Amino acid sequence: MLKVYVRRTDDGRRTRYDNCSLELRSGELKTTILVGDHDFFFPTKFNENLFSGSGEEVEYGQWQSIEEKPVKIDKWDSAALKNALDDASKKVMVDNFGFQESHSLMDMRLAICTIAVGFSLFALLWDYLNPFPESRPILIICVLSYFVLMGVLTVYTTYIEKGIFLVALQKDEAGIDPDNKWELSSILKKYDEQYNLKMTYIDGKTRITRSQEVTKSVAEFFDENGTLCMDLFEPEVRMLQGRIAAEGKKE
Amino acid sequence: MGLLDFDFLDDVRRMNKRQLYYQVLNFGMIVSSALMIWKGLMVVTGSESPIVVVLSGSMEPAFHRGDLLFLTNYVEEPIRVGEIVVFKVEGRDIPIVHRVLKVHEKEDGTVKFLTKGDNNSVDDRGLYAPGQLWLEKKDVVGRARGFVPYVGIVTILMNDYPKFKYAILACLGLFVLIHRE
Repeated sequence: MLKVYVRRTDDGRRTRYDNCSLELRSGELKTTILVGDHDFFFPTKFNENLFSGSGEEVEYGQWQSIEEKPVKIDKWDSAALKNALDDASKKVMVDNFGFQESHSLMDMRLAICTIAVGFSLFALLWDYLNPFPESRPILIICVLSYFVLMGVLTVYTTYIEKGIFLVALQKDEAGIDPDNKWELSSILKKYDEQYNLKMTYIDGKTRITRSQEVTKSVAEFFDENGTLCMDLFEPEVRMLQGRIAAEGKKE
Repeated sequence: MGLLDFDFLDDVRRMNKRQLYYQVLNFGMIVSSALMIWKGLMVVTGSESPIVVVLSGSMEPAFHRGDLLFLTNYVEEPIRVGEIVVFKVEGRDIPIVHRVLKVHEKEDGTVKFLTKGDNNSVDDRGLYAPGQLWLEKKDVVGRARGFVPYVGIVTILMNDYPKFKYAILACLGLFVLIHRE
């Protein structure tokens, strides 16, 4: 049994917890301190040494890297809300389930943008070296290519990416069949608080597609200060994955 | 505390390499779009500077300081007396907007012309390069085709206070770079 002081570094508030038992599950996103029947979740990983003796003081808010720092955002900014939730669900899929992120969708978008910016840089350079009337044919080519590429980019993001922010590959255990694919996409309308998360599973061998989605108010996952409560959000992602997995077993 | 902690940079610190690169590309695309619209206008109008701002009162009452002019410079259109042209003079950085006063045209199409500001009491020979008496086709940036009053005053203010201009540009640039979509 431990006696733990938890001091929050942001406002200096200190709470003493007697009779704690400590559970450190390595590899998980959070540390749990059990006090009586209550679980206290800490979004940071505690150094085990801090708990070596009784009466240790633990600083809440001390993190070794940015990964462990709780995500705090401007809760009125819908883009920030969406990014925070997207990142969190990505983290659950990759860190907890051990799926491998596939970057090909993002890489394609990066390639289109790079070529477009390349055209404009080339136009700038060419026009500088050969002042206007001579540079006209090259400028026409660059301008047309640039706007065509912008059109391609729009088509790509609306019809191919379709809001998918994570493609994760689940390696086949035997290593023979192709990988199973998990895709995550989300919608959060600009002036709406309903966050829709959709998980799609594509079986590598049978190509069967299963999907599950959940729509909840963002207010359920953020506290008043705009800090993301990972312990409230993580079960949602696990639930989606669990439902898809259960569906697969039934068949 | 917020600023000292650099909490506003958390977004950027959390990004992976691809997201960081996309952030830079996003900034690049905003600049590129503006640049390509400008170059596109150059191609369409044939003028090396299709939009200019009137910087002096020498063309009053036609144009005032801060008016935005739209120019075209098609090769096949001849220069005629009474037209308002924008021209460059050797040794001067800023193009001048004045009206054509006299034109001499040869049969092979080469022209020599003289200009004058509506609000000036003498013609422009004093403004031309030393020894230059006439302007030629190559000096022309474009001919005025349309104008929007007062809008260009922003440009004039920016040019008068360069520090203000760079401060605004730096702020906008930084915002785009550290703010995710």
